[in-house]
Amino acid sequence: MANYSHLVGHRFPGGRFTLSPHLAWLWADCAMADPDPEVAHPTLSYFSAMQGCGVSIQEIFDLMGADADSGAMFGECVLEYNGALSPGETYEVEGAIIAVERKQGRRAGVFDRMTFQISGRREHDREPLFTVTNSFVFPRREEATT
Amino acid sequence: MSVEQQAGAIGLGVGDELPPFVVESVDAQRMKTMAALLDDPNPIHFDVELNKRIGYGDKPINQGPITMSYMMNVVVAAAGARAVRRFSCRFLGNVLGGERVECRGTVTAIDRDAGTAEIELTALVGDRQVLAGTATVALGGGN
Repeated sequence: MANYSHLVGHRFPGGRFTLSPHLAWLWADCAMADPDPEVAHPTLSYFSAMQGCGVSIQEIFDLMGADADSGAMFGECVLEYNGALSPGETYEVEGAIIAVERKQGRRAGVFDRMTFQISGRREHDREPLFTVTNSFVFPRREEATT
Repeated sequence: MSVEQQAGAIGLGVGDELPPFVVESVDAQRMKTMAALLDDPNPIHFDVELNKRIGYGDKPINQGPITMSYMMNVVVAAAGARAVRRFSCRFLGNVLGGERVECRGTVTAIDRDAGTAEIELTALVGDRQVLAGTATVALGGGN
């Protein structure tokens, strides 16, 4: 049985991410919110975290041994702020996997729940401006039959 | 269906029901934009033919971050984007292209010492809850 608990503590490469105004505009449009040139839509912390952490969603799936069409799902998201993000700002981003748990649900069957946390701070700040904690769910249908 | 992002958190009280945010018909084209923005390879968001083949029906499935953003809009309209201190959500079900989503929020607590309000959030497709969440906002509207 494949076990992914060794991934706990795995650090993402991290990096710098500039929240380009046009990307902030497009995100707000997807959110059906009014784009604001001065204050970013708050869920852009999720976007900035995912863009700046240095790994793609596909690479996260790869770490967990899952294909894009394996039924992996977003389980939970927590966004924390020490202020508002702004279009045009650059953030130093870092993150790591903080938990991998195998669970069994009545309907979902066997699945792995992987949680990672990413934070971003303005270039000259010491404290993060935002912290994003995501849990993804990876079905392990093959484990139910072994 | 737009939201004023810099409204102040004025006059929130325990038990207040916040103005709902309603999307009458989830737009498949915006899912394609989001897939590109996130570099999200999951075809369930844009490849309807594949969804048919794998038994997901004939509609694309909305990305979690889009539905989450609808729910955030309730908070932003009530308190302003600068006031949001914490937001959490659990994804309970899929939202399909063309579906009507209604997001609601209720103020559950006020902490005068901390200067914050707690909001309980839900997103519904018909009677089906697709998201559940909470938010903490600064009563002064944030910095």
